[in-house]
Amino acid sequence: MILAYTLAILLMFGLPVMAAVVLRRRAAAPWFLFLVGAATFAGSQAVHLPLNAGLTRLGWLPRETFDPAFPLWRTALLLGVTAALCEESARALGYALLRRWRSLEHGLLLGLGHGGCEALLTGVLTAATLSSLAALRGVDLQALALSPAQLVALSAQLQVFEQSPLAAALPLLERILALALHLVFSALVWRAFVDRKVVFYLAAAAYHMAANALLVMMAGYTDSLAWTYGALVAGLLPGLFWLVRLWRRERSPVARPVAPWKVEAAAFLAATRKELLQQWRTRRVLIVLAVFVLFGLFSPLLAYFTPQLLRSIAGAEMFAELIPTPTAVDAIGQYLKNLSQFGFILAILLGMGAVAGERERGTAALVLSKPLPRWAFILSKFTAQTVVYAGGFLVASLGAYFYTVVLFGALDFGLFMAINALLFLWLMVFVAVALLGSVLGMSTGAAAGIGFGGAAALLLAGSLPRVGPLLPGGLFSWAGQLGALGETPVPSNAGAVAAAVALILLCVLGSLAAFEQQEL
Amino acid sequence: MNEALRCEGLTKRYGEVLALDHLDLEVPAGSIFGFLGRNGAGKTTTMRLLVGLAHPTAGRAWVAGIETTDGDSTARDKFGYLPEAPAFYGWMTPREYLDYVGRLFGLPDAERRRRIEEVLTLVDLKEAARRRIGGFSGGMRQRLGIAQALLHRPPVLLLDEPTSALDPAGRHEILELLAGLRGEVTVFFSSHILADVERICDTVAIIHQGRLLLVEAREALLQRYALNTALLEFDPAGGPIPEKLLEGLRAFPWVEGVTADLQGVRVVVRDVDTAKRALLPYVVGQGALLSRYEWVRPTLEEIFLQVSA
Repeated sequence: MILAYTLAILLMFGLPVMAAVVLRRRAAAPWFLFLVGAATFAGSQAVHLPLNAGLTRLGWLPRETFDPAFPLWRTALLLGVTAALCEESARALGYALLRRWRSLEHGLLLGLGHGGCEALLTGVLTAATLSSLAALRGVDLQALALSPAQLVALSAQLQVFEQSPLAAALPLLERILALALHLVFSALVWRAFVDRKVVFYLAAAAYHMAANALLVMMAGYTDSLAWTYGALVAGLLPGLFWLVRLWRRERSPVARPVAPWKVEAAAFLAATRKELLQQWRTRRVLIVLAVFVLFGLFSPLLAYFTPQLLRSIAGAEMFAELIPTPTAVDAIGQYLKNLSQFGFILAILLGMGAVAGERERGTAALVLSKPLPRWAFILSKFTAQTVVYAGGFLVASLGAYFYTVVLFGALDFGLFMAINALLFLWLMVFVAVALLGSVLGMSTGAAAGIGFGGAAALLLAGSLPRVGPLLPGGLFSWAGQLGALGETPVPSNAGAVAAAVALILLCVLGSLAAFEQQEL
Repeated sequence: MNEALRCEGLTKRYGEVLALDHLDLEVPAGSIFGFLGRNGAGKTTTMRLLVGLAHPTAGRAWVAGIETTDGDSTARDKFGYLPEAPAFYGWMTPREYLDYVGRLFGLPDAERRRRIEEVLTLVDLKEAARRRIGGFSGGMRQRLGIAQALLHRPPVLLLDEPTSALDPAGRHEILELLAGLRGEVTVFFSSHILADVERICDTVAIIHQGRLLLVEAREALLQRYALNTALLEFDPAGGPIPEKLLEGLRAFPWVEGVTADLQGVRVVVRDVDTAKRALLPYVVGQGALLSRYEWVRPTLEEIFLQVSA
């Protein structure tokens, strides 16, 4: 079940990106448009969520969607109106700012970005919800302070773990349908700008409102997913039919000539090979391995010998008595602290020059005049860094595990590797942030500043209520809780894992989008 | 399609600066095309637009019939590019760099290895093939730059100042190499060394302040300006060339320009008939000991200075 949902969430993340890749191979549409589409979604929610909260405070919307005191049709309509106005207006603002890009393919790429960002958010929330539900498995729900309605809803949700793994396809199907709807809305708003007719914008808003309202109504009237999805498909069909006809009529008559996939993939492999060779020749591999091995081995040793060291220092013997007898928990704590601190510094320092340095020296200009696509240039750098850090973590984790077992006794190998996997994912977020900084910064110094600033902002955002646990700090906390080796099961935080993957994806796409626009 | 390279209204603006102004240019296939201009004239901007490293403000460009200004990467197989100051990975050896470039062009293993040895020999870097590029001189980097541009046997070569960092012997070798490609490969190269352009180019374009001033076959160009230059050589026994003589020459309305060196004076004229009647009497009248008087054709440098003045 967990595997099925993991796959479904990864597909939720990946499908809009894959669709964008296919579209880009047909038309000269930059990744920048995908990112603008994503920004229109994020911007719309920055207005939409407070607007709904304000309407709830005013008593126009119920605190819970299905409040008997509020007619369902009114709630559905109002929720539909706020979603449609916010999202379609944001989309229109995106088009208004992008005067250079006015082909249908450009409009669709914007729609994919908008729907893709929503899919990322939905994937993260699905993962977070599953995590929360997993923590409640086997718990006596009657002991929780829940209303009868909440109890029924929670029991129904917990059925998810009893269902067939195929049930994981449902949220994916819902996202695919939503993505198709976003493409239709985006094409309608595109027509509004191309034909200079506001009626198309109004049609997009009305369609969006109707689709949202329909979903709320269906959810209120029936528990049957088949009916709900059936209604969604029925609502989508007219729009899809219109979009297909529009595509046949308006698409660029000649497909953009592009190098075959095989050629681009071969160039990517050649660039990755060069990046790995560069990591080796410039001693970066050795630096990463040295730091990781040093702290991997040093952490359990330090934890074990600290009391003995203190006893050996004249005058400090009394401090040794204050320190409890070290255990494997202390070793893992030291390991997490050391590796996160030095890994973070390495990620920024080694990543800052990845693109900015090549641009400054002029090496990028020469190789990018060859058949090396810009996506391959960026992705090869991220891939090589991923391999190097994965190697570093592997060596460090094996060393630390060995010393911890020797010094402190048995330790669950799987658990220790899970801690390392979380720490690795945590670090890769900062590697991706450093890569983005390296693309955005016009010099290596500026890249370092942007990388450090972005990483610091992410770390600080970790203390925000509700959102914080989903940020990379949530991964670190989870690893820390696992490292405490407690008797009680540690609640998982799959939301933070999904959010980390989403952040990495956004940073890499952001790097591609920015680099594609730059002159060398 | 007979042209290897074509620009239509190619324009590039950096803020307020118009670096390239509606460049319309056609380079015939198989020609060696010299692209001349002073510093900041727009030569490098043109090159960067042609290879797709910069985005045009307006206009389009094609290399070997494929548009390069719309982000189409398929044209990159069709040209080899050498920037003005080629930059390489200092940790690599030339052989490794060429191997990387060969892989990017998808050359099969055996062909790639053979071709690497060929181009290393061609640019005389075979003995340095195992050394790190980081320790190379400017001339060696330039030669490696030419090697990487030639590696995949492109039909078009775009060379930005290819001989600028080379010593006279290196320049001679590279020019011989480029001249040897005539008819097989189209060479489009910019240079401030006019003697190089004059030596191997069959067509010349002059660009100034972003605008194309002229495009003409070298011979036709030199012919057009033929015999408007008088060469005067003086007997050393007469002492240095008097400044008064030069000033007097410059004052004539039919004189375009006067340049003097130790050997003599070159007088470029606007009105050849008047000059032929008046020049010699004036020089003799100044009491100069003339040892040689001849009407010669101007150098490309003189034409360039005249056109771009």
